[in-house]
Amino acid sequence: MSEIKRSVSLYSYQDSYYDGKLDLEGCLRETAKAGASGVELLAETMIKQFPNPIYTEEFQAQWNGWLQKYKLTPTCYDAFLENRIYDNRMLSLGEQIEMMQRDLKCASILGFSCIRTLVSTPIDVIEGSLEYAEKVGVKIGLEVHAPFSLNSTWAQGYLDRLSGNDSKFNYFAFIPDMGIFCKNIPDVVADKWRRAGAKEEFIKIVDDAYASRVANGFTKIEYSLNLGQANMNYRNANGLGDLTEKFKSMGASPADFGYLNASYTYSWSDPQDLIDNIDRICHTHAKCYNTHEDYVETAVAIPEVVAAYKKCGYDGYLSTEYEGGECLRDHEIVDDIEQVRRHQEAMRRAIEG
Amino acid sequence: MAGRQIYNPDGFKNVEKDGKVCGFQFQFKLQYYRGITLSIIRDIKVVIDGEELPREAVSITVNGETFTLEECRTVVSPLYRWEFGEFATVTAAKEGGLAKGPHHICVLQHIAPSYMPFPIQSTCEADFEI
Repeated sequence: MSEIKRSVSLYSYQDSYYDGKLDLEGCLRETAKAGASGVELLAETMIKQFPNPIYTEEFQAQWNGWLQKYKLTPTCYDAFLENRIYDNRMLSLGEQIEMMQRDLKCASILGFSCIRTLVSTPIDVIEGSLEYAEKVGVKIGLEVHAPFSLNSTWAQGYLDRLSGNDSKFNYFAFIPDMGIFCKNIPDVVADKWRRAGAKEEFIKIVDDAYASRVANGFTKIEYSLNLGQANMNYRNANGLGDLTEKFKSMGASPADFGYLNASYTYSWSDPQDLIDNIDRICHTHAKCYNTHEDYVETAVAIPEVVAAYKKCGYDGYLSTEYEGGECLRDHEIVDDIEQVRRHQEAMRRAIEG
Repeated sequence: MAGRQIYNPDGFKNVEKDGKVCGFQFQFKLQYYRGITLSIIRDIKVVIDGEELPREAVSITVNGETFTLEECRTVVSPLYRWEFGEFATVTAAKEGGLAKGPHHICVLQHIAPSYMPFPIQSTCEADFEI
């Protein structure tokens, strides 16, 4: 019997929350109804006047009461290191560490065992926060989000600095986002650009190019503090420059280019990467875009990822992170509750099957 | 089919100062997925009936306090976040306000979350009546 557990990131319910259909408690209720035993929180999305309430006994009692009522375990707290909070300078290293410690503290108060930090987090900030992370017993999980990947110079750069004999290094980990295991571009993305006017011949070129990148392997992104530049280099190394020229010569429309550029936000890694890094994985974002009625996700390799995790005995959470709404919300009301329900069922089948 | 609601349909109105109409107001939601400090707002560009208003004419109100776009640059207090899912009120100075009848508004929300390689610019359009 696999020990893999299921969670929901409340990111998934952003449309229902935006529309006022769900409040924080409503999101927890839906999470439990969908069959998950864990919950992942974006405090900056759903706790007003963040972080003030987290420090109050009143909110803490309410939060703990909800967890009990809905039988949920706090899994991961998503932190946003707002190191450009002022437009005229980057926060100093000390200020950034202070901010990360604030999030570690908030996570600890609310019962989370790890925080998610974004791909843009400087190594020095994590290194400088590890002692505090150990003190409060909360791991710092670096998200591995497309176009980044495990087993890359980017990931190795963090490992080189954040490994060692000191026990504090046990508090650095990775959080793979399953968007790095996309076998194809999600159907809702293509449909969005179709509505905007993208033509089938261009969509086919983009889809075929993606399939060829999956078959031949992606060139991986390098570590850099200049993410914009690193991202452009990555895109061109994976053929965007050539495709752009081809599209120009064929007279592509802005919508055709829109789909082409969108296709570079998805990527494919070998699920073996999870097995290779299992000792450093504390949590997983189970990204999803469109889970069909038959419980098949449009793009993410759920069965392959679960199989890899079973093989290496992963006993952490797969946390549903529904993102397909961004392709729909200009055009229709997003049914994120149903999408989460289907995705949880898809994962349950893969885990228990 | 219709997408998500951005503007409060009841939020459009003229504003008066000392008995004179000096501008208009609208209310809209942040097109992002978390609440933000006002300091990461780079711009709220208001185009009303094709006329672009100067940056100095625009101010934003959250939790009962009003800040010009220039002042927003230093607003980092938890008390004055633009909360996710909540309307912020924008006031645009314009002599005489808006005439009675139909209008078209197009506003660019321009914010810069620290981790994004590129800022987020969302165009928010609506037809309304005063």
